[in-house]
Amino acid sequence: MRIRVSHTTTYHYDTPPKGVTQLLRLTPRNHEGQYVLNWRVDLSEDCLLHQYEDAFGNVAHTFTADGPFDELKVAVEGEVDTSDTNGLVAGAVERFPPSMFLRDTDLTQADSAIAEFAAAARASAGDDTLSVLHALLTAVNEEITYDTDPTQTVTTAAQAFALKRGVCQDLAHIYIAAARGLGIPVRYVGGHLYRADGVIAQDAGHAWAEAYVEKLGWIGFDPANKLCATDAYVRVAIGLDYLGAAPVRGTRYGGSGETLKVAVQVDQSQWQSQS
Amino acid sequence: MLSRTADNLFWLSRYVERAEYLARILDATQRLSALPLAYVGSSNEWESAVLTAGCSNAFFKLYDEANEENVTDFLAFSTANSSSIRSCFEMARSNARSVRTALTMEMWDAINGTWLELKRFGNGPTTREETSRFLRWVQESSLRYDGSAYRTMLRNDAYWFSRLGVYVERADNTARILDVKYHLLLPDNERVGGPLDYFQWAAILRSVSALTAYHWVYRESLKPWLVADLLILREEMPRSLASCYEAIVRNLDQLGGAYGRQGAAQRQARGLRTRLQNSKMDGIFQRGLHEFISEFITENNKLGAAVTEQFLI
Repeated sequence: MRIRVSHTTTYHYDTPPKGVTQLLRLTPRNHEGQYVLNWRVDLSEDCLLHQYEDAFGNVAHTFTADGPFDELKVAVEGEVDTSDTNGLVAGAVERFPPSMFLRDTDLTQADSAIAEFAAAARASAGDDTLSVLHALLTAVNEEITYDTDPTQTVTTAAQAFALKRGVCQDLAHIYIAAARGLGIPVRYVGGHLYRADGVIAQDAGHAWAEAYVEKLGWIGFDPANKLCATDAYVRVAIGLDYLGAAPVRGTRYGGSGETLKVAVQVDQSQWQSQS
Repeated sequence: MLSRTADNLFWLSRYVERAEYLARILDATQRLSALPLAYVGSSNEWESAVLTAGCSNAFFKLYDEANEENVTDFLAFSTANSSSIRSCFEMARSNARSVRTALTMEMWDAINGTWLELKRFGNGPTTREETSRFLRWVQESSLRYDGSAYRTMLRNDAYWFSRLGVYVERADNTARILDVKYHLLLPDNERVGGPLDYFQWAAILRSVSALTAYHWVYRESLKPWLVADLLILREEMPRSLASCYEAIVRNLDQLGGAYGRQGAAQRQARGLRTRLQNSKMDGIFQRGLHEFISEFITENNKLGAAVTEQFLI
């Protein structure tokens, strides 16, 4: 599938800041099921955009824009060719052994409720890691109601689990907390999803999890849609949790009254047949 | 475009590129063998040249010993060797003749002129000076062909197929050099820094015109792992595997875009490029440089087969 993504983050300031420094993880990389045809990052201010590879192997950009300005726009846009690999992520950049992804973070700390929930899922699935992961996928999807209202980016897995509500990010965190508690290495994936219902304009990127299964490798699990990642998924960045893979992080000097608007468009590009 | 035309263009470029590569190997070997024995040790450079050209079986059927005379004759002039420089130019010219109308005048002049001039060298040069002159002429002929293709061809499928041939062949050639010399590039080589290695590394770099580039990129004395890094993973180095694959993918994407469809060749090329992009030299050394290169050669051949399957037959 050829997917066209455009992701624009616009900051508006009531009082213009003196400067803004940001770290962007907005650029996807290739792996066996994904090939980036073209990709560009555009900023509304003139500044040096420095590209590097972070510890996880994500492509990251940093920049410092000198103010004052009322508005800052970070736009990325590009096309990616994807193929369905049944969720398997092979040939991606791997900088750490899988066991590193057993590490807990503040956002993915499992409390006793999640631990119980995970144990129940395991009890129903038996010993096979893959069936445990699938059982967990169904359980998280059914337990948590998708709701954009009550949670924010700083909501932890335990808080969202107590609310029984959350967005794709919270569902991914809960899934990660539960699976790590069972001793399965899992990581957070930020990216984009071409929606089956044809909705092109979205409010944010998508998030899901990748779990490591011996002899198979990393497999993408999307608890928000109860699916393993397909060719509708564009994988952009990985991390231990949302903070590690966040599309934009940054700080500003001075200024106030910051409002943020994110516009994401994920569409299928002009059709190409595969012979 | 007829697949026969595409096939001829693809192979025309491959043959010209291969001829140049053989000239480069012979040139580098000649330099190496001209050094005092104390520097280069007892290894037989001429035998390794035959190995690098990938035709040692055929060679040892015809000759008993790999020495300067035999190897130069075999790789440059032999009619018995289907990939000698002479055979390459002859096949390139016959390919060119059958797609005469798909070539520009300049390209045809370059390839036909080369072929005519080849006769002037008769059965081969008799002295070392003449051989050097001949090898330089081969490289210049290839440059002339390549340059006229670059400057005069329309940017359409004919151009993309011809470029594809250049880069598939070039990737194969660089990988072959690395395959024969890989043991010199291993980091645990005991005699690291000895004069033997220094000249060998310089010869590897020289055979792909990268000696100056090396110093620009690394600003260091020759280190084997950096030589390997330059020739495998550096996209800015025009003969590195990574750079060849960048170009292969680009040209295949152009073809895919123009024909509105893509298939196995594109997938294979992107897969290999992804692997090169996602690799680091430490990882490659850990899993084995030799294994990596042998696998690359196999995968590159698979790409050649996929291109043939998809477009050329």
